[in-house]
Amino acid sequence: MNVRRMMGVARKTLRSLRHDRRTAGFLVFMPLFMIAIFGYTFGGDLKDVDVVIVNLDAGGENGSMSAMIIEELSSGETLRLTVLEGAGAVDGEQLVRDADAWAAIVFASDFTARADAAVDAMRAGTTAYPGVLSVYLDGTNPNIAQAVLTEIATTMQRVLLAQYGLMPPIAVSGEMIYGEDAEFIDFFAPGVMGLAAMMVTFMLSIISFVHERTTGTLDRLLTTPATEGEIVGGYAAALGLVALVQSVVILVTAVLLFDVEVEGSILLVLATILLLGIGSQGLGFLLSSIAKTEFQAVQFMPIILFPSILLAGVFWPIEAVPELLRPVSYFIPLTYAVEACRSVMIRGWDLGDVWPQLLVLAAFAAAMLILSAYSLKRRR
Amino acid sequence: MSEGTEDGEDRPAVVTRGLGKSFGDVVAVRDLNLEIGRGVMYGLIGPNGSGKTTIIRILSGLLSASTGEAWLLGERVPARANRPRIGYMPQEMAIYTDLTVHENIDLFGEMYSIPAEERAEREDSLLAMIGLKERRDSLVSNLSGGMKHRVSLACALVHDPELVFLDEPTVGVDPELRKGFWDYFANLKARGKTVVLTTHYMDEAVRCDAVGMMRLGRMIAEGAPMELIESTESATLEDAFIAKAREESA
Repeated sequence: MNVRRMMGVARKTLRSLRHDRRTAGFLVFMPLFMIAIFGYTFGGDLKDVDVVIVNLDAGGENGSMSAMIIEELSSGETLRLTVLEGAGAVDGEQLVRDADAWAAIVFASDFTARADAAVDAMRAGTTAYPGVLSVYLDGTNPNIAQAVLTEIATTMQRVLLAQYGLMPPIAVSGEMIYGEDAEFIDFFAPGVMGLAAMMVTFMLSIISFVHERTTGTLDRLLTTPATEGEIVGGYAAALGLVALVQSVVILVTAVLLFDVEVEGSILLVLATILLLGIGSQGLGFLLSSIAKTEFQAVQFMPIILFPSILLAGVFWPIEAVPELLRPVSYFIPLTYAVEACRSVMIRGWDLGDVWPQLLVLAAFAAAMLILSAYSLKRRR
Repeated sequence: MSEGTEDGEDRPAVVTRGLGKSFGDVVAVRDLNLEIGRGVMYGLIGPNGSGKTTIIRILSGLLSASTGEAWLLGERVPARANRPRIGYMPQEMAIYTDLTVHENIDLFGEMYSIPAEERAEREDSLLAMIGLKERRDSLVSNLSGGMKHRVSLACALVHDPELVFLDEPTVGVDPELRKGFWDYFANLKARGKTVVLTTHYMDEAVRCDAVGMMRLGRMIAEGAPMELIESTESATLEDAFIAKAREESA
C-alpha cells in the first residue's frame, strides 16, 4: 500500500470539490439543514389539537364541575378548546364528522349533580352511581384520539381530586365517529403511499432530466417538431403511471398483509396520487434545469424530501409539528395528498369532501408543468 | 428575404446575415454572412472553440442569436414549421443508451410523426446503410463508440430531411469508419440533400464542395477546398488554414 498514491487520490477528490463551489457549500449547508429540521420536528409535542366543548351542565351547590374542568383543560397546550355556546350534543358531533374538530366533549346537564351525588354516596358508604362524560372522537389518527382521551381523563382526575379530595366514579365514554377500528397502520398507509409516489417521481424526474441535458438528448428532441409541452407532458404521463403502479402495490400489500381498510373510493385515492406524482415530476424537472450534473441534482433530494417526510403529516399528525414549522407544512403538496388519501381511506369521504385538497394538488401539478415547459422554451 | 412559409426551390438552403452570438463577454461568433446552396456539402472547419458548434446550434434553433438573422430553406430561424425538413446530429452523440438501436431510431421517427409502417421501412434502410441490421435489438450501451455514432447519424436521417446539420460527426471515429461516414455524406448529397457539417480534421473536409474557415468566431476564408489550397500555395487544407490565419493576424 502506497500512502503517497492514496493521498494523491484524496487530494484529487478534495480538489474537484474546490472547483464545484455549489457542492462544497452543500456539504456545509446540508448538515445544518438536517440538524435544524430534525431537531425542531422531534422537539415538538402534540399541540393545539382542535376540540369543541358542549357544556350543558346545570352545576351544583358548590359551583360547576364542568366549568372547572374546562378551565383546567384550557390551561394546557395540548388542546385548543372552543366552547360552543347554546349548542347541543348533536352540534358537537357534527363538527367532528366534518373534521372541523378532532373531538367534541359533551358535559351532560346533570354532570355536576351526579358527581356531587356520587361523592355523597361514597362518603356515606352507600352505592355511588357513576357519572358519564361523552366524547365524540375522530379516530382517523389513533395518536390524536388517544392523546385527547388521556388529556381529558388526567385533567378530570386532577380537578375532581382537588375539589372533593376523592375521586367519584365518572366514566369517559368515547364514541369514534371515524376509524373505529383504526390502528396506526391505517393512519400510516395513506401517508407512505403519498410519500413513495412523491419521492420516486421526483427522483426519477430530476435524474432523468439532468441526464437528458448532459447527454444532449434533450437538445436533440428540441430540434424535432416535438413541442416543449409534449416533452414535459410525455414525462408526466410516464412518471404518473409509475406513481400509480406503486400506489396499487402499496394498497394491495396494506390491505392483504395488514388488513388496512379502505372506506372510500380507491379511484379517488389513485387520482390524488396521480396529481401528486405529476406535480412532483414537474418539480424534479424544474430543479434539473438548475443542476449542471447528476451530482448536483442529488443535492436537491434531501432539501425536498426531508421536509416532506417530516412535516407533511406522514408519520405523525401536523398537530405534532412544532408551531414554528407548521406554516412550512402547508407549503408542501404532500401534506394535501396525505390528508386527502387519509380522509378517503379512513373516513370514507368522497370528492365532495376532499375537493379542496385535490384542487391544491391539481394547481401544483398544472403550475409545475407550465413552468417546466416555459423553462425549456426560455433556454433557447 | 421572405419570411413566409412558401418554399421557393431556388432559395439557398442556408443564409445568414451579420449573425453573431456572445456569452457574457465572450464573443463566440461574430458577423457571419453565409450562403449555402441546395444540394451542397458544406464544411465549417477550424480548431475547437472557433464557433462552429455555436453556428450549428443557432441554425438548429437551440440557441438564439445575439445579432443578425438566419434563414433555412427560405424560412427565418427559428421556425418550428421547418423542423421536419431539417436533421441534426449533435457532437455528443445524444442518443438514449438505455434503449435499443431500434427504440432510438423509432423514437425519433415518432417525433417527426412518421406513420409506423413507413417508420419501419426507413429504419430498415437506415440500418442497412449504417451496417447495424443485426444489432437492431442491442442496447446502445452495449455498442462500440463507432456504432453509437452510426446510430446517432441514423436518428438524424430518419425523417429523410432536406438539410442536415452534422456537428463534428467524425470525432472519435476510427479512420476506417470515418471513410464510411464520408461516403454516407456523399451519398446524401447525391440524393440532393444539403449537408452542413463541422470538423476540426481539416484534411478530410477536402471532400466538401465548399468550406468556411472559422477562427476565433470569425470566418476568415471561404471557398472550394482546392481553390483555397491553390490560392495559398499550400499542400493541404490544414496548411491553407494556417496561411489564412496568418494573413488575418497580419
